[in-house]
Amino acid sequence: MARLQADVLIIGGGATGAATAWDAALRGFDVVLVDRADLAEGTSGRFHGLLHSGGRYVVKDRVAAEECVAENAIVRRILPDAVEDTGGLFVTTPDDDPAYGDRFMEGCRAAGLPAEEIPVAEALRMEPRLNPGIQRAFTVPDGAIDVWKSVWSLAAGAAAHGARILTYHKVLDLHVGDGGVTGARVRNELTGEELDIEAGFTLNASGAWAAQIVHMAGIEGIGVIPGKGIMIAMNHRLVNTVVNRCTMPADGDILVPIRTVSAIGTTDIRAADPDEIPVTQQEVDQMLDGGERLVPGLRQARALRVWAGVRPLFQDDRSGPAAADTRDVSRGHAVVDHAERDGVRRLLTMSGGKLTTMRLMAQDLVDAMCRQLGDERPCRTEHERPPGHEDGRHMQIGDRLRRREATLRDEQLICECELIGRSRLEQTMQTRGTLNLDDVRRQLRLGMGPCQGGFCIYRATGILHGVERLDGEEASASLTSFLQERWKGVWPILYGDQLRQARLDDWIFQGLLDVEHLPEAAAVVPDEELSAS
Amino acid sequence: MSRHDVVVVGAGMAGLTAAVRLAEGGATVLVLAKGVGATHLSPATIDVLGYAPDRVDRPLEALAAFAERHPGHPYGVVGAAGVAAAVPWFAERFADGPLAPYAYTGTADENLLLPTAVGVLRPSAVVPETMAGGDLRDGGEVCVVGFRALKDFHPRLAADNLSRHPGVTARGIELDCVPEGRVDVNALGFARAFDDAAFRKDVVARVAGRLHAEERVAFPAVLGIADPHAVWSELQDRLGRPVFEIPTLPPSVPGMRVFATLRERLRRAGSRVVLNNVVTGAEHRGGTVTGVRARVGLRDVVHGADWVVLATGGFASGGVELDSRWAGREVALGLPVAGIPAPGEERFGPAYFGEHPMARAGVAVDADQRPVGADGARVFDNVLVAGATLAGAEPWREKSGEGISLATGHRAAGLILDAAGSAQRSAVAATEG
Ligand SMILES: Cc1cc2nc3c(=O)[nH]c(=O)nc-3n(C[C@H](O)[C@H](O)[C@H](O)COP(=O)(O)OP(=O)(O)OC[C@H]3O[C@@H](n4cnc5c(N)ncnc54)[C@H](O)[C@@H]3O)c2cc1C
Ligand SMILES: Cc1cc2nc3c(=O)[nH]c(=O)nc-3n(C[C@H](O)[C@H](O)[C@H](O)COP(=O)(O)OP(=O)(O)OC[C@H]3O[C@@H](n4cnc5c(N)ncnc54)[C@H](O)[C@@H]3O)c2cc1C
Repeated sequence: MARLQADVLIIGGGATGAATAWDAALRGFDVVLVDRADLAEGTSGRFHGLLHSGGRYVVKDRVAAEECVAENAIVRRILPDAVEDTGGLFVTTPDDDPAYGDRFMEGCRAAGLPAEEIPVAEALRMEPRLNPGIQRAFTVPDGAIDVWKSVWSLAAGAAAHGARILTYHKVLDLHVGDGGVTGARVRNELTGEELDIEAGFTLNASGAWAAQIVHMAGIEGIGVIPGKGIMIAMNHRLVNTVVNRCTMPADGDILVPIRTVSAIGTTDIRAADPDEIPVTQQEVDQMLDGGERLVPGLRQARALRVWAGVRPLFQDDRSGPAAADTRDVSRGHAVVDHAERDGVRRLLTMSGGKLTTMRLMAQDLVDAMCRQLGDERPCRTEHERPPGHEDGRHMQIGDRLRRREATLRDEQLICECELIGRSRLEQTMQTRGTLNLDDVRRQLRLGMGPCQGGFCIYRATGILHGVERLDGEEASASLTSFLQERWKGVWPILYGDQLRQARLDDWIFQGLLDVEHLPEAAAVVPDEELSAS
Repeated sequence: MSRHDVVVVGAGMAGLTAAVRLAEGGATVLVLAKGVGATHLSPATIDVLGYAPDRVDRPLEALAAFAERHPGHPYGVVGAAGVAAAVPWFAERFADGPLAPYAYTGTADENLLLPTAVGVLRPSAVVPETMAGGDLRDGGEVCVVGFRALKDFHPRLAADNLSRHPGVTARGIELDCVPEGRVDVNALGFARAFDDAAFRKDVVARVAGRLHAEERVAFPAVLGIADPHAVWSELQDRLGRPVFEIPTLPPSVPGMRVFATLRERLRRAGSRVVLNNVVTGAEHRGGTVTGVRARVGLRDVVHGADWVVLATGGFASGGVELDSRWAGREVALGLPVAGIPAPGEERFGPAYFGEHPMARAGVAVDADQRPVGADGARVFDNVLVAGATLAGAEPWREKSGEGISLATGHRAAGLILDAAGSAQRSAVAATEG
């Protein structure tokens, strides 16, 4: 079996793992990061897109609110190109108690969050689609954050400092010996090859899967309650500002503008398994009703896509029973020290947290490791920018259009919805060296606009076939799996214009191209039948 | 208020077919449509029945048993006889049509197997002459030619998959010639380029020397829009071998040829198509419609009619809609929509190529193509429904889209002509008596 050595093994390539790799690499540790899938394919790629101001937590969880206030400012500074400075509003809808606004403002003051009450008329001027019946409105420094940009640049930064980022490498087992963890056995999910990683320290940043990892070290009594949340992307920016309902957290109470769309979310429902989180029609209905409350008429807008993520909420037998509503379990994060808790050294687990606080979580995790190693090295992530953010400018909604206009006459447009040109697509395919269109989708947002890939998927398959010199079978497999992946995100929300679009796409893929009968599928047809015709 | 014997709503395959047959049969016809239909998007092959669910080789023979297995299917309404009558009628419209001698070939008796742009062999019954050479039922050698500037057709991908079929050897080549030096040209742009002799000459020069002896040559379906027969024949002559077209992503050049042909036929028969008219309702006395209301710009105009053919397409064309609370709506006349699961029941399934409960939703009709409600009772006596609006089919899987639209449009016209004829005869009999 192949072997690899490192100071630190990080398990999980979500926001937490990527931030941790960046932090540890900056402190001079030799890092290996593994993820069983692509970067940000776990909860991080299925979140709501909000760079919290902290407003959501000020009444209920002061610590979490204060962390958000501080980290919001830092993330804007170190990952400017991943942040759109949308600003945020908290509004009291006709169904909410206006008095909650006073508690909200009090909480903001205490947490140091710069909130301000503005006249309702002004809020309606800012966001004309808002429910005209709102009673109070407050501004906060919410933002929108692009997780792929964040995670990819943190990982690239870590790599530039020597870290090895191994995607599609799944941890199968932890090696235990000498009073602690000594590394892990991992499997390359693309080739099936196994690999032994010897590590001086192991950091478990596997979020909702963290319990599965610690069980591999024989540790008991730790569980993760997956709290499923769904979000629906609506065509267009129904709002340009993040709009939150000013009330105790409830279902469907935040609308976030994300690039050219806006997402309504979310729910919180216990799930049994973090890998089995189907979306139901009833949840979609709930979400649309919640959205109607903030922006009346939302049901008439076009729903593009629905997705679900799981909140990694920890349950530790040794610290009392967890509350029934997963939303009541603290959103704050904590480092679980397995030396202290279980007598297993060289293993730490990150529990809980938010994307907004990923940097702080990473710092806490690496600090705790340094303490156990007796090798204190100062954290540098508060000021250092990873690659891609050098010019300090926030991303803007028109960025892609501006780039597109510059090459209007000499570049083929492959994805009209997301303005992706051919050379950009080819470059990404080449640098990723991936056979998987879905990897390209996540990185470039290919096929994520209104037509949901109706036109660009075929084109991208043809181009991938050329760039990567795939054979027909590989290209076809990639095409069909992309179609299935896309369907997963649309079938629960098919009504109105998006149903119309889906039918057009059916006609393209099943009528015009007849993808269903690609030869591979025909392989199950008995030979006589093929030759008889 | 204008008055017509028949107002046809919709200018797709179903509406145009009905209108041409009616007008040629002597009726005064007005076609009102929001815009052009699926003709401008779809490959324009008359696919009668391709999968049921196994591949069908002889569609006409398979129809009766197929309709029996799918109660309420449009083919159950028109029957094999309806299909058998419609198909040759359609092909005949091209003879001395505006694009003649451009023609359709094939019959509903047997399916050809024609390559798609991803390299699947797809069953089609009646197809443009420019596509028929792609029939690979007996295998063969193919050189698929594409253009880098045409992103909607990838020759090497198609060729690679074609080669995976037994008996087929294919390879793809991509040419760099670009009409007017542009990098991003769609199918229609290339069709216009092929109308130009100099462009054709350039293409031939680049392809001719690279062909193997036994190879036929496939091009994307862009071989001319003004005179496709001439373009195709010239390429066959100059390359000295069979040449055929493979449909591209939309827009569809072969579909535009169908639209142009039927519209010209209609004009010659004294009727016309008026676009940008959105039909929003019917004026009626009880179960009899007296006229349809159309929105033109900001105005509503009522067109009186003795008969209405509703051919507004399915969900893909916006003829039928579903709102977020699962209420279905037929948009033009407000007819009931059948086949939508009750709220809370599953509408679609999680597997893309699996079963989807509301796949067959649409307007249900009786044996005379009159719309019916959930109780089976007729909604209007003088409205006939045709085409993709109809409930009961899953045409993108069956490969039956154009077949259904053609056959039901053709039959709707026949039913009206018969009824009008017998009404006239009885009127004559009454005056004589
Ligand atoms: C519905 C929802 C909405 C949210 N919205 C927001 C928001 O708007 N703003 C915000 O700040 N926060 C939000 N959050 C919280 C935020 O998304 C998460 O806290 C954060 O993404 C967690 O990141 P992570 O890296 O810890 O976990 P993950 O992103 O889940 O990463 C864990 C990784 O571990 C990998 N892994 C698992 N098992 C193995 C194995 N055996 N071997 C190797 N790798 C493995 C997984 O593939 C995964 O990539 C939201 C959360 C949810 C559920
Ligand atoms: C991309 C694509 C690929 C396809 N591939 C195939 C294939 O391979 N094989 C196959 O057999 N079929 C295929 N089809 C399907 C086939 O083209 C259609 O099923 C068929 O053409 C439908 O014809 P139609 O006349 O019933 O409806 P449509 O062509 O949809 O026409 C509907 C007409 O009604 C009009 N209209 C709608 N609402 C109103 C209103 N309120 N007022 C006035 N006018 C209105 C529209 O503007 C349009 O003119 C494909 C379709 C598409 C889009």
